[in-house]
Amino acid sequence: MRGEGEILVVHRLLDEQILDSDGKRCGRVDDIELQGSPPRITALLVGEGLYPRRMPKRLRGLARKLAGPERWGANALRVPWEKVDEIDAALHLCCKAEELGLGEGDDPERWMVKRLPWN
Amino acid sequence: MKSILKIALGIIAALGGFLDIGDIVFTTQAGALYRYDLLWAVALGTVGIAVYAEMCGRVAAVTGRPVFDTIRMRMGFGLGLVALVASTFVNVLTVAAELGGLAIVLQLLFDAEFSLFVVLASIGLVIVVALLPFGGIERIFGYCGLLMLVFVATAIHQGPDWGEVGRGFVPSLSDSKLYLYFVVGVFAAALMPYEVHFYSSGAVEEGWDESNLRENRLNAIVGYALGGLLACTLVVVSGFLFHPVGVNPADLGTAALPAQGAFGETGLLLALGGILFCVGGAAIDSSFSASYNLAQFLGWEWGRYRGPRKAPRFTVSWLLFLFLAMLIVLTGINPVEITEYSVVLAVVALPLTYFPILMIAGDRSFMGEHANGRISSTLGWVYFTVIVTLAITAIPLLLMTNGGGG
Repeated sequence: MRGEGEILVVHRLLDEQILDSDGKRCGRVDDIELQGSPPRITALLVGEGLYPRRMPKRLRGLARKLAGPERWGANALRVPWEKVDEIDAALHLCCKAEELGLGEGDDPERWMVKRLPWN
Repeated sequence: MKSILKIALGIIAALGGFLDIGDIVFTTQAGALYRYDLLWAVALGTVGIAVYAEMCGRVAAVTGRPVFDTIRMRMGFGLGLVALVASTFVNVLTVAAELGGLAIVLQLLFDAEFSLFVVLASIGLVIVVALLPFGGIERIFGYCGLLMLVFVATAIHQGPDWGEVGRGFVPSLSDSKLYLYFVVGVFAAALMPYEVHFYSSGAVEEGWDESNLRENRLNAIVGYALGGLLACTLVVVSGFLFHPVGVNPADLGTAALPAQGAFGETGLLLALGGILFCVGGAAIDSSFSASYNLAQFLGWEWGRYRGPRKAPRFTVSWLLFLFLAMLIVLTGINPVEITEYSVVLAVVALPLTYFPILMIAGDRSFMGEHANGRISSTLGWVYFTVIVTLAITAIPLLLMTNGGGG
């Protein structure tokens, strides 16, 4: 699937669950980066910072004000298409989530997670 | 023999949480007000939840993904977000209703302050979830919920006119708005969104694959038939005892009285125990659902099987939802009222819950040979039509009948 071939982008790729090489859930495909003509997928974009632009047009402005990147420092990470290993019932990466900065909210080393009573 | 026992135990475990405070409140009141007339609506709701639970379990077994996990892909980000907000709102309200129910039963068993039991029940649930693995949690509430069988014995002991009971299964509509309100309530209580979300996430928690498809079908058919039987029994015993004397069982304790009438104090204790475990199981299911949905929408790590270390955001959100529900009950709103609102508002969220299930279970590119066949697909669409009709009528009915108050 990697690099070559065709895929129904909206049907099978957009909003798909991302799993890293250990099977850890580490975000969703919140947007897709296309380049060239004919357009080819160059990267997947992941992060809450992308949510406002996924909203219906009329709500985008409001969404950006409430939860835009400027406001919360919400992130938008880039996952190069080469890192995609396989797409079956979910999207599998061929590297660990940490290498790309994905799934940080579940990272036990992060200070907020570290302070939880069970850690 | 051993495998039959194993399957039977699995079915019973899956049954935990099927009968929740919504079912108990609506069936008991339906019996008191309309005797056996609404049995058909209970049966209709039971077949509906069985059809959709089977689809959800099948999707989870084949693709390893619960249904809410796929909601954004099928409905888009915006509509998916609406489904998330609506289901979270209803779920938290449901958790509050179940917590209130737990506290009422505990109060009847051990006489003390209501709010004390709300807090104790919440802490109790946290302890159970912290100590037991997923399967253990399911089994405790599933097996102990079987105490509800005392209502079957009660019905037989009462000896109602079975012909009249049978006629209750023939659908009948009336132009009474209160009657229609109860049709919607009884039906919706059986189809609460958290049930399918929990069931399919639970299948992933237990690592289901295609070898579990038979178990899934048995759970759906036999398990929900048993659950439906129990729900019908609640209508019958309440109709037999309360309808002739015009008692309106406005609180949860009244639901247990028929068992006391038949078997004295033992009957009462068994009934209260059964309600306690059913409602406790449902509290866990609905609160888990709230966190499953949030985590799945956002792509977080989730699940009891991952443990709190690997799924910290999931665990924290679960604790927060439980805490929020506890605060709602502590405001002193009558839990039976919270229940009615949670059920009727859930009806409005039902189309958003069941449409994606129908889509994903019928998608061959996703499900391959296990996609919906002719029977599932026909039943699915028939029920979806019913659900949409009810969703449109639910809110006007709630307002016109003053929340079922007449």
